[in-house]
Amino acid sequence: MVNMSVNLGGLHMKNPVTTASGTFAAGLEYSDFIDVAALGAVTTKGVSLNGWEGNASPRIAETPSGMLNSIGLQNPGVNHLIQNEIPWLKAKGASVIVNVSGHSIDEYVQVIEALEPHPVDAYEVNVSCPNVDAGGMTMGCSPVSVGQVVQKCRCATSRPLIVKLTPNVGDITEIAKAAEASGANAISLINTLLGMAIDARTRKPKLARVVGGLSGPAVKPVALRMVWECSHAVSVPILGMGGICTGEDAVEFMLAGATAVAVGTANFTNPHASADVVDGIRHYCEMYGVKDVNELIGALEC
Amino acid sequence: MSGLFDEMGEVKQNLQVGPNLYLLSMLAPKTASKILPGQFVHMQISTNPAHVLRRPFSIYAANPENGMIDILYQVVGSGTREMTFWQAGDKAPMISPIGHGWTLSDDIHKALLVGGGVGAAPLYMLCVALCKSGVQVDVALGAGSSNSLVCLDRYNELAMPKLRVLCATDDGSYGISGFCTSIAQDALQCAADSDAPYDYVATCGPEPMMKIVANLAHTANVRCEVSLERRMACGVGACLSCVVDTKDGKKRACVDGPVFDAQELLW
Repeated sequence: MVNMSVNLGGLHMKNPVTTASGTFAAGLEYSDFIDVAALGAVTTKGVSLNGWEGNASPRIAETPSGMLNSIGLQNPGVNHLIQNEIPWLKAKGASVIVNVSGHSIDEYVQVIEALEPHPVDAYEVNVSCPNVDAGGMTMGCSPVSVGQVVQKCRCATSRPLIVKLTPNVGDITEIAKAAEASGANAISLINTLLGMAIDARTRKPKLARVVGGLSGPAVKPVALRMVWECSHAVSVPILGMGGICTGEDAVEFMLAGATAVAVGTANFTNPHASADVVDGIRHYCEMYGVKDVNELIGALEC
Repeated sequence: MSGLFDEMGEVKQNLQVGPNLYLLSMLAPKTASKILPGQFVHMQISTNPAHVLRRPFSIYAANPENGMIDILYQVVGSGTREMTFWQAGDKAPMISPIGHGWTLSDDIHKALLVGGGVGAAPLYMLCVALCKSGVQVDVALGAGSSNSLVCLDRYNELAMPKLRVLCATDDGSYGISGFCTSIAQDALQCAADSDAPYDYVATCGPEPMMKIVANLAHTANVRCEVSLERRMACGVGACLSCVVDTKDGKKRACVDGPVFDAQELLW
């Protein structure tokens, strides 16, 4: 038997696999395909205090080996999550990471405060969404503003605090260090890469918001590189993501330094993807005589 | 959602039936027995990682007895182009049965179905169901030219006594010269003038066409349902890619639709 459990900055996960925020809602929609309790955790869709409408349509476009999205964090607000999704996830026996969004530092804090009385296992602070005009990536591009938001969130909770980083910066390790110094228990990366797609026939952008976030296998090499860089820059554990479709992809992220991984766009290709990745990691460990999945973390030989 | 499953479909036939139009017949017994008129499947069209997204396809016909489903598809991009190379024996997984289909209520007595282009296909199962319930059904089909009216034969072959099929082509090569919206307008007017107005309109096709039909139905005070097409990622209601503006806020075309009451939409 392979030990599959990992500790992501105080969050005990039965295996290293969670879902990437925004690709899985809170899991109910996937319940015909996935037992949410079989995952290391479920990371819920980004939630704000009173809910947001999101962006105009079209909101997605397929690109080679990837996709662009500009959903814009459409969500019904934190109370909806508290009343509906969190009780459902807990009844199913899932570990819950809530992705926290805000237009201001105060809003991030207010969302966490609203969630504190409820059974949430960890928070993922979203300072990296490229599809909103305030908050998100606008806060995640400078070490100073990341430090500020993480510090305020840190004061609001003693639960594991994961900070999700944007790759759309010059040096992601500077942002990672700022998050760590301000009290983050873990960092997650990467959010999507800012991109665009154009329809040459109509001379129009394929997304209504013109630009959007690129995800899927196309971004995996960038994500691996950034996980590897950050793993040498900070000592807090890393939740790695970006184009993971298989157990082998996940193992590559762990070798690069990730303690846990998230499956995102692959859920769209294959609704069983997150569970398949758990099985794939276990299969890899069995095949290569790895007794404890933790042995893989940072075990890249170079 | 509940009641969704992922079924491996097996291609039995994949024929070009018109300009850029293909008829795909697949063995997918579970889907064939569960799918309702207006619902769709979300199919993984390639194992090539270049295509990360599945493609939603309406079901043209389903036969629970032999387990076959038919999909009429138009080549619009690299994904559907790749599908044209599918041969008998090829396999593709599909999530099904997805979505809120056409409303088949007992209070429908006389229906008008308006299909533009490949929009004729998602209306076919509805037509069959309505005819079987004894509803009087008028069908208006539109296409660019006679060789694009690829669903016409199947509608005619139904040969139901209370079924009437009328056609319009842009070039006048079959039926009236013009758009199927003209047929719809005349039909609604005639029915209103007689003592037997329609009590249900269903339409599927290009969105500008559906808007005209919805407006005509609204003017005639007849309930109208439309089937919307949106770019989709998950197909199960999770990702919020396919949202539609409605009087009741944003709704998901995949699981809250694809069929909506036209009066509900802000479009």
